[in-house]
Amino acid sequence: MLQYQIPLLYLAGCCYLAAVLGYLGNLRLASRRLAGIALTLVACGWLAQSGSLLLRWQAAGFLPVTNLFSTQFFFSWSLALTYLYFDLRYRIGAAGLFVMFVNLLLIASILPRDPAIPALIPSLDTPLFTLHIIFSFTGYAMFTMAFSIGVLYLWQQARPTRQLPDLVLLRKLNEEAVFLGFCLFSACMLFGAIWAYIAWGYYFSWNIKSVWSFIVWLFYAGMCHAKFVRRWQGRGYAILSILGFAVVLFTYLGIGLLLESNHPLD
Amino acid sequence: MTPRPSFSKRLWSLCCSLKLAIVLASGATFLAMAGSLVMHFNPNVFGAIDQLTLIDWWQTRGAAHLRLSWWLTLFATLVLLLGINTLCCFIDWLGKIRARWRKLGEYLIHLGCVLVLGAYIWGSFSGFRHDSVPLYLNQPYPIGGLPGHYLRLDHFEPRLSETGRPLDMRSRVTLLRGDQQLAATEISINHPLLWRGLVVVPVSFGRDVRGFRFFQPQRGTLDLATGSRVDFDSGSRLTVETFYPDAMLRGDRVIKRGNRLGEPAMLLRLEQPGQAEWRGWYFLRGPLPYPLVSAGIRIRPTQPLFRVYSVLTINYDPGSRLALAGGILIISGIIIALASFYRKRRCGDHPDIR
Repeated sequence: MLQYQIPLLYLAGCCYLAAVLGYLGNLRLASRRLAGIALTLVACGWLAQSGSLLLRWQAAGFLPVTNLFSTQFFFSWSLALTYLYFDLRYRIGAAGLFVMFVNLLLIASILPRDPAIPALIPSLDTPLFTLHIIFSFTGYAMFTMAFSIGVLYLWQQARPTRQLPDLVLLRKLNEEAVFLGFCLFSACMLFGAIWAYIAWGYYFSWNIKSVWSFIVWLFYAGMCHAKFVRRWQGRGYAILSILGFAVVLFTYLGIGLLLESNHPLD
Repeated sequence: MTPRPSFSKRLWSLCCSLKLAIVLASGATFLAMAGSLVMHFNPNVFGAIDQLTLIDWWQTRGAAHLRLSWWLTLFATLVLLLGINTLCCFIDWLGKIRARWRKLGEYLIHLGCVLVLGAYIWGSFSGFRHDSVPLYLNQPYPIGGLPGHYLRLDHFEPRLSETGRPLDMRSRVTLLRGDQQLAATEISINHPLLWRGLVVVPVSFGRDVRGFRFFQPQRGTLDLATGSRVDFDSGSRLTVETFYPDAMLRGDRVIKRGNRLGEPAMLLRLEQPGQAEWRGWYFLRGPLPYPLVSAGIRIRPTQPLFRVYSVLTINYDPGSRLALAGGILIISGIIIALASFYRKRRCGDHPDIR
């Protein structure tokens, strides 16, 4: 069955590409039908990707998230799920263009890579690791969603268009994405800390990855408070969401690929 | 005209200030961003920071390299002030709990963070870390920092893959206070020994040479290690006083070079009836010393005798259970805050504006 993982992944990539084109058409033609088709395509892509993920999980015997291919795969899956949540709940329509474009980039960057699942390091063989990873990437996905909505907020402010949600809804979506991301990332930090304690004997490490994870947490904790300060609402919050995503990207990819840490990606 | 609030009220307002929290969090964030890179690119100063408690590291390494480590003091101060600010916010909320009970989730997260921070400070001051301690079978290891407490390795079994890759290290250990057994368990990867803030985790394992096996013509083999004593038919007695896996002669003294097998040597004592005692070094790669030959002892080294040891990390953090309580409060707070968030969204409630 594992041989179907890559065709399923290609199918997901095609669905996401078609969805992006659908959202582009929706932005241009203001067609509700096109937005509906694009949402259906995202849902189909996500189901195909879920199938691929399940096949990989079944073949490995553990959630395969230990190298760049599999973490980007899982990140993309989480991002599509996050988008589906927001679109099904708020019908954000063309606002999905940007986040699905980010997702498409993620998928496109992993397709040429080797999909082989590396052997699990013994210390990763614990449910705490699985929980740590699930909450980490769903948190990252929410922060990516907040980033996308932040960009759209600035766009809507500079060039108002009826195809995008109004500023009030975008602000609410941004705050919700940050709050959910913060909650999920807090859970990730907590499970990571418990796991570190039983694996290494301490719950906080001064390794660069752990320090930057703390920075991400502190940054978004600050954002959860900043929404109560008038000056930081709306535009300020959108800018903070974009800055926060830069911190997330450095924590995930920058440290994993450029620096030596206790969370290597390859 | 409204009267100016008293100094104590203004001070309390400052301590509970949301803007102060944002300023402190921003300062700590920017400082940690820059500082983490300093840490990463100076492993000679920061490389062992996780092997010691923060206070021990500061006393041994940090204070000696202030040019690179000053930011850590400032970062710790900002985080401490943020912790105090968070605690003040929580106390302030407690005083208004009847009116603001809907914020229970958010303030449980605040209290949880304060507890985790307090636990970390407590552990840094009162705890200790012994990194990569070799433990030999049935040799109690005195735990420095916990007087009268010992750790004994009762059994050790490494698990290797078909290719020889280590998969796990299973050590059955017993924690003792004097002769009293406090805890006994089998530890392996992700399954440590936990006892009142003490945590023992496996790190690695190794083996060293404890002695040598000899061949005796017509008598089979003979294992000799430090402390071995052999009585021969002629009435002579051979005792091994010391064994070095790698030794060298410096002047007229024999010194140990290391624990790896190199130039093995034994300090022997030979007692024979009616003769003076002989005591001397036998380098195993060389010929048998003449006094042994003349006593009729014929032995030839054939193979080293190894003993396996388990390498464990023994950490003590009295604040770990408080940190866990803080973590549970944070998770509980998150669940309540999420429920409250969606309830507010349903009601069309908007965030407070200050």
